[in-house]
Amino acid sequence: MSERASHSFSFGRVTTLASNTLTELTRLKVFYVLLLFALVLIGSSAVIARLSFQQEFQVLKDISLGAMSIFTSLLAIVATARMLPQDLEDRTIYTILAKPVHRSEYLLGRLGGVLLLLAISTLVMSLLFCVVLYTREHSALSEAARQMSAQPADQQQETFQAIRAASFNPDLVPGIAVIYIKAALLASLTLFISTFATTNIFTIAVTVSVYFIGHLQGTAREFWLQEHGGSWLSRAFLATVALIFPDLQLFNLADDVVAGATIPLAVFLKTAVFGGFYTLLYLLLAIAIFSGKEL
Amino acid sequence: MSEAAVAVTGLTKTFPIPFQRRSIVAVRDLNLRVDAGQVYGLLGPNGSGKSTTLKVILGLVPPTRGKAEIFGRDSSSVVSREAVGFLPESPYFYKYLTAAETLRFYGKLCGVHGARLSARVDELLQLVGLTEARDRRLRGFSKGMLQRIGLAQALVHDPQLVILDEPTAGVDPAGAREIRNLIVALKNRGKTVLLSSHLLGQVQEVCDRVGILANGVLVREGAMTELLGLQNQTEMIFENATPQVLAEIAAVAARAGVRLVDQRTPQSTLEQLFLEATERTGDRFE
Repeated sequence: MSERASHSFSFGRVTTLASNTLTELTRLKVFYVLLLFALVLIGSSAVIARLSFQQEFQVLKDISLGAMSIFTSLLAIVATARMLPQDLEDRTIYTILAKPVHRSEYLLGRLGGVLLLLAISTLVMSLLFCVVLYTREHSALSEAARQMSAQPADQQQETFQAIRAASFNPDLVPGIAVIYIKAALLASLTLFISTFATTNIFTIAVTVSVYFIGHLQGTAREFWLQEHGGSWLSRAFLATVALIFPDLQLFNLADDVVAGATIPLAVFLKTAVFGGFYTLLYLLLAIAIFSGKEL
Repeated sequence: MSEAAVAVTGLTKTFPIPFQRRSIVAVRDLNLRVDAGQVYGLLGPNGSGKSTTLKVILGLVPPTRGKAEIFGRDSSSVVSREAVGFLPESPYFYKYLTAAETLRFYGKLCGVHGARLSARVDELLQLVGLTEARDRRLRGFSKGMLQRIGLAQALVHDPQLVILDEPTAGVDPAGAREIRNLIVALKNRGKTVLLSSHLLGQVQEVCDRVGILANGVLVREGAMTELLGLQNQTEMIFENATPQVLAEIAAVAARAGVRLVDQRTPQSTLEQLFLEATERTGDRFE
């Protein structure tokens, strides 16, 4: 191996670590969570079959996107929380870092593996969701055609259009992408916490706390400013809180999609950049702490 | 003087005690040199600073004072690890990987790829006697098998220096003998081996030089022959000597003014007896 190869950052080593992490998570059968998602979809289909088609599609999207958000977030936290403490406890990390591997490559590879897993999971859940959506749309169209057989053709077409519009909406794509970005942010946050945490439980507890703070801080900030006014001190405090804890409410674009709203490209890009910024920030903080850690 | 594979100079390592002003001194002002091609044994009781010294040499913990170098390169630099293979004490590898996958994983981390890696994996599995278990996941491996796959991963990039932390800990006598044979084979191939152990008999068998650590201080250091040889005594072992022959030899010695210190029947070792009694008759894998 050339000296230059070890001196500099190696994408090959990161890829090796990422693919090993993906193998680990796959063989640990974390994909069972997808089975759970499929069950939620099938279960919800049975419940909503009795609603009007507009309500049916809205509830279906609401349940599916909500479940997708919860499952990807859970997967991100649980899969990441155990990695570093487990490698330290089993001393596997000694065998890896005793090779010409930079600590930053190790962390990036581990996070890369989780992000790959999340991408595959999100893709599979989206496909399942689309299949269910398509099936429901197909049966709604057949049902409408049967009921409206005596109606004029233009009226039938109007109804068919309405069913199609209520079913698949192109805004679902950025809505799902934002769910993935949020999960990536949570994985990076969990990795950062695990660099100084001593147990998995601590890592998960702190990450879940940050998750809730992140979801509530927007509302709390507005309430605080209403109650205490906008002094420079309170504004500085709130800005600090907002910097440390990302406003996770911003990732709830899927709710708007379910409600029928469209997501402007600028809003989507802003959310993506916001998520990317925090993912990178937590990763850099994790590298900074882990680089100085005595193993 | 030959090249130093490992050079530790003025190494002190302290660990602060949380919420106290005091700290624990794990290693104090250690100077150590391992020449290329040597088998060096670092001895000491538990908590004497052996593992900490090895960790500093591997760049896993930074020294509080002093420095460590591997073939002239500062051990804190990642590039110094190109020349090192390491087997930690009681290692656990990724249990979800098979033996071959484990070696491929570590090989790729060392920049070994393609046909060269495949050939190396086959060669190492054969070397450590795990060819039959190549596609079995490590989850089902015994302690001895884990130790052997650990040794194989340490050698995957054919390093010049092999560092072994308690390589025979928890391994049965037959497995320990295989590991010792492997260390001797590495020495014969010109590799440098630095091993830590508190099993003194094994160290005596394979090491050229030893250092003894106690409470973080190097209390003895030198070549095995210098440290253990009794310069004014000679040992002779005869086969089928009758009592008359022995009496004549003793009389000759007495006439020359040489004192006979001891005369006894040599005994085999318990280990030798164990190995003969449990000698393997075939492949251990089904």
